This record gives sequence, structure tokens and C-alpha cells, in this order.
Amino acid sequence: MAVLSWKHHTLIQSLLERGPLTEKEFHSIFTAITGQNSGTHQGKFNDYLLKINRELSYVQLDLRACRDPYDGEVYYGVVNNVSDEQSKFGTKYSVPQIAFFKAIVEAIAQDVTAEGCICNMDVLNIRLENQVLNSSGSQSQDGSLGIPAAFRNFTMSQKERTLDQLVKDKWLCYTEDDNIGVGVRSVLDLRGWFNNAGVPSCEVCNEAGLKAKLCPSEGCTVRIHQYCLKKIFSQKGVIVCPSCDTQWEYQPPKAEPVELEDEETEPMQSQPSSRPAQSQSSLRSKRKRQRVSQNDDSNTQADTKRVTRSSAHLR
Amino acid sequence: MENPGEGFSQFDISKEEKDKLVAEVIRYILFKTHQSSGCPIKREELSQLVTKNYRHRLLPAYIINQAKEKLSSTFGYELRELQRSRPSSANQSRLSQQSGIDAKSYVIISQLPAEVYKKYVEDVNTSHMTGFTFVVVSIVQLAGGKIAEDNLWHHLKRMGLHESDGNHPVLGNVKQALEMLVQQRYLQKDKVSSPEGSTLFYELAERALEGTVSGRIKQYITQIVKKDSATVDIS
Repeated sequence: MAVLSWKHHTLIQSLLERGPLTEKEFHSIFTAITGQNSGTHQGKFNDYLLKINRELSYVQLDLRACRDPYDGEVYYGVVNNVSDEQSKFGTKYSVPQIAFFKAIVEAIAQDVTAEGCICNMDVLNIRLENQVLNSSGSQSQDGSLGIPAAFRNFTMSQKERTLDQLVKDKWLCYTEDDNIGVGVRSVLDLRGWFNNAGVPSCEVCNEAGLKAKLCPSEGCTVRIHQYCLKKIFSQKGVIVCPSCDTQWEYQPPKAEPVELEDEETEPMQSQPSSRPAQSQSSLRSKRKRQRVSQNDDSNTQADTKRVTRSSAHLR
Repeated sequence: MENPGEGFSQFDISKEEKDKLVAEVIRYILFKTHQSSGCPIKREELSQLVTKNYRHRLLPAYIINQAKEKLSSTFGYELRELQRSRPSSANQSRLSQQSGIDAKSYVIISQLPAEVYKKYVEDVNTSHMTGFTFVVVSIVQLAGGKIAEDNLWHHLKRMGLHESDGNHPVLGNVKQALEMLVQQRYLQKDKVSSPEGSTLFYELAERALEGTVSGRIKQYITQIVKKDSATVDIS
């Protein structure tokens, strides 16, 4: 039976206790405990993750990476793969809070302009009653019968508090213009849900294109993430729609001192439901989504390769 | 254990079934711990996961042991057993109906060395609770393991923590924070009746009485006070 060392345990526990970590943080932990730079010792890092995932698969958990839709930053997290009786315990949120969250995510997913966010006012105006009717497909004529009191009485201030907590726990985030977007945890955990909800995928990386650029030609449904566009542009110098051949207008984002040029990350397969762990704090104030990342000696060309392939579980 | 994989044959279940049960128990422990922010899990809850579908009397113990091993080898978590020293009166009638052994409960504790944990794993957003826990448990310990409610608040007040404070900048509702310690089984409450009326006492409960914890607390207190811990008492 393969046994993981304390180094593997540290990596796992850091994600479980602190929640999703940026690639930089995660790599720095790896470097600190193994003395090996994950940039130059890519293989060793991947080995570690492979070994970890082999053990984690025993309990249907997965250590995987994803990209933040708003700034392309890579995050690592431990994700639950299967929604079962046990994982239903894995949340501190109440039923109406979860319904509220679901309503927000649905609204974001259904945005045809692929902005990947909804404005604060819309969030606060969400009515939970609609959630009940939608999910149970209730045919009761008298709408109020099927709706629990907790849903009806979910006040504005409760919504605000829930929103704050969701952002703190990284299920949602505040975007630049003070709108509400999906947080890193949602991207890690809800991939399957997004696919099922019919969110079109990015042509390049095949992940849900929640916040993406749409093809300028009318009727073409192609969408591509900003960070995927950047990569193509840097390789080919021009962006051509893979489906309708129109050339896309592409403006490189305003010059930032030194860019962390991430190669393609292959986030792993998805799964719904999560194993939310403690979170890192994010203040209520706006977070600047443009990250000017420092150049450090090592990780600039860090590739995060695919680590494992587990068979996809369908929800 | 030399061949842990084979022990299950005596229970008449397949390896897959055994693996599934162990995984369920581990997942239950992980998810529940998160949901309750670290409150101990009763052994009875874990056994039920097994007995729900399987009747062999000794199977739950076997599965729990396997889960313990897996938690350690995969995650580096120790499944520490706490012995319920004195059940609070609310539970007394329930417990008497079951066999005495089920008064055990479990918490998971990281097996990483303290420096590693502190540097890479610890969530700084929850350190305030850890600090609060340490302070309160120390006070109760110095008081001999049991302290009247008023007395406890008297000491907390000296640190700026008031019973009526619902908006402490770090702890939020201070009374609730104290309640959390009771739920996490660091403390238990005990109402003592006397001619003057009944008084509420806080006593150390299994998590604070557990060997390593109480030993370390004594060590820290000694460091802080820089005297022999046995001679320190609080006025």
C-alpha cells in the first residue's frame, strides 16, 4: 500500500484547512518542504500530485487546478467528486442560503453576453420562491404551499450577510465593477454543473466559458476565454474563429510590468458538490482583478500539467 | 498491521464493500468536522454507517480502525479518541440504554510537526478561536478544573471580553464563542444547586482533559508565568 509522506500530507492539509490556494502559494509550499523548485522540477511536482490523487481517489476526492475566470490565475484545491449522504453534511450553509447561492450561479451561467457576473442589485432582488418552483417542478397552483417559510422570509439583510460569507469562502467574488462573479471554489467544484446547465465551453480549453469573449460575427456561438486568447495571440499573432473563420479583434491587455505567462493549464474533470474547507479572508472591499504579478526567479514558466485522469462521474 | 487487506474476509464482505464502507466513514468524518467546526463525532454515529447495512457485530470496530489508518496514511490526520468522562445530564438517559463503550467520540488532529503546521497549514482566519480556547481552558485549569460562571467572566473581563459583548472586533459575539467551546467539548456546563440558588459551573471536558492537550497547556502556562505550575493559583 503506497504511503504518503508528511510532505504530501502538508500539501493536502494546507488545501483542506486554508481552502483553494493560488499556484504561487501552492508551489511555494512545495518548494519549501521539498527543497525543490516546482518550476525546474516539474516532474517531481507532478509526481507528488499523482501520488496524492491516487490515495485521495479512495475517498472520492481530487486535488486539482482551475483558472479564475476573471484574471486567469491558477488555483489549486481539493474537490469532492461524488455527491452522497456524507457530502451533504459538508456545508455550514442553510437550505435557503444554498438556494440563494444556486440562484446567483444560475443567473451568471445564463448570461448570454458571457460577462460572467451579475450586478449587486439583481442579486439582492433574487426571489427564492422561484428557486423552489424551478427545482421541484412544482405544479401547485397556489405557489405559497410549496415554499418553505424560510425561503419566503429570507430578508435583504440575510441576503447581504450570505453574500458576504459566500465571497469570503470563495464561492463567489466581487469583480472590478462591484458586480458579483463566480469564485474559485465554484470553478473548482461546479464544472459538471456548468456543463449540465448548458454553459458553452471555451473553444480552446474546453472549460465552461462563463466569462469569455464572444465571436464578433453574428450567429456564431464560439466563445474563448481572455487568457486563452492571449495564449493563441502570442503563438500565432492573430485570432481566427475556429468555427466561422472570422478574424477577431484582439487587444493585448494594458502593459503590466511583468506578466506571469502561464502555459496552458489543464484543469481536471469536474465534479459537483464540494468539500468546502476553511477559507482565506477576502475583504468586502473591491478586489482589483488585474494582478500584477511579480517576477520571481523560478515560477515564471510554471506549467501545470494534467496530473490525473479519473473517470468522469456524471451527476 | 501486516495484511490489513485480508481481515475483512472474516466478515463475509467483499474487498469492494469493505473499501466502500471505509471511504464512507472517512468522508463522514471529514465533512462533519467541517460542518461543525471541529466538534467531536460520536463513535455511535460512525458505527451506524456500518450497521445500517451490515449485521456483523464486530464489523464497525474493524471498519473504524481501517478508517483510522487511512486517515493517517493518506491525510496525515490522527483520529483521536476522546473518552467522555462524565456525560452531561442531558445525555444520561440515552447513554444508559447503550453499552458503555459507545461513550467514545473522535476528533481529527493533524500529525504534522508543529512548525510545519504553523507555517503552511494553519488557517490564520481561525487563529483567534485557538487563542481564545487556550486562554479559557487555562483559566479553568488554573482554577482547579472547574470554575463558576461569574468567576470565569470576571477573568475574561480583565482581557476586555464581556459577556454582553455581541460585537467584539475579533470574536464577534463573545458569549457564543464561549458556547462554541462547550460544543467542541473543551468545556462542559454543570448546574450546581445550593441553598442560595443554582450556579452554573464550567468544567474541563474530554478534549481539554486529553493527555497531550492538558500537558501542553500546563507547559505554556508555566512559560508564561515562569513559576512552577503547581504553585500558581488565581485569586
